[in-house]
Amino acid sequence: MKRKAFAFFIILAVWIIFAGDVENDVLIVGVIASLVTSWLYSDLLFRSSNRKRKWSYYFRKIVYILLFIPVFFYEAFISALKVSKHAFEKKPTFSPGIVKVKTTLKNITALTILANLITLTPGTLTLDFDMKEKAFFIHWIDVTTAEEAETRKQVIERFEKWLEVIFQ
Amino acid sequence: MTLRIIIAYFFMVGAMLFAVTTTVGLIRFPDVYTRIHASAVVLTISAVMLSFGIAIYVWQFYLSMKILLVGLIFLITNPLATHAIARASYRRQIACPEVRSVDDYSDYLERDQQ
Repeated sequence: MKRKAFAFFIILAVWIIFAGDVENDVLIVGVIASLVTSWLYSDLLFRSSNRKRKWSYYFRKIVYILLFIPVFFYEAFISALKVSKHAFEKKPTFSPGIVKVKTTLKNITALTILANLITLTPGTLTLDFDMKEKAFFIHWIDVTTAEEAETRKQVIERFEKWLEVIFQ
Repeated sequence: MTLRIIIAYFFMVGAMLFAVTTTVGLIRFPDVYTRIHASAVVLTISAVMLSFGIAIYVWQFYLSMKILLVGLIFLITNPLATHAIARASYRRQIACPEVRSVDDYSDYLERDQQ
């Protein structure tokens, strides 16, 4: 019930932003539409959990997420500059390859978000995930070392340590 | 010309430069996977910077929030699409990487390196 109410308010907020103003007829249609949507599909948005945490736990999580957003865009900007440099070279000097990188994260949501963040950063691209060994297969445009620890440090550790703190 | 307009133009010009980079990269890079890296530049940096710049430029609450939501949708859909294209083209052998130094994924799929 709590999760349906939460989904209802999020969908209603998105509706109001897209409608552009708050009037009676807009609100009536929006409330009906978001009631139906949240009643049917709220389990796609949230998962039920029985753990009881203090409110400070969630507060810390939100603060870390807000801090992580500029860090991510900074990293993405730097790697976009690196890829741009390759595009304008007279003879492209990159050495693309597919590397296997093991991860230490356990949470399935954190793994999904990590894979998406790796794909979002220019220069690295997640191809697959090995469930047995907990390893990502990453297509990387600048393979500089064959050593696994060094690869791990350069590709995923900058996001992994943040996600480990957020999803602990 | 207020400071707000100048900042908005700064974001838009930056987005435009990255988009030019993507176009050059798409033409010059050798195979599918490296071209996907070039297109990730426009989808991650350029689209977000452009939506940010336009949101500062119009400076009305509902309109700016709408544009930022469009930028967020870009960020959500981009990794799904690029991951799906790359994985499918590797597993179905539609396009194999031409230049490569290491390839751990073909060992995982128990396939010989051509």
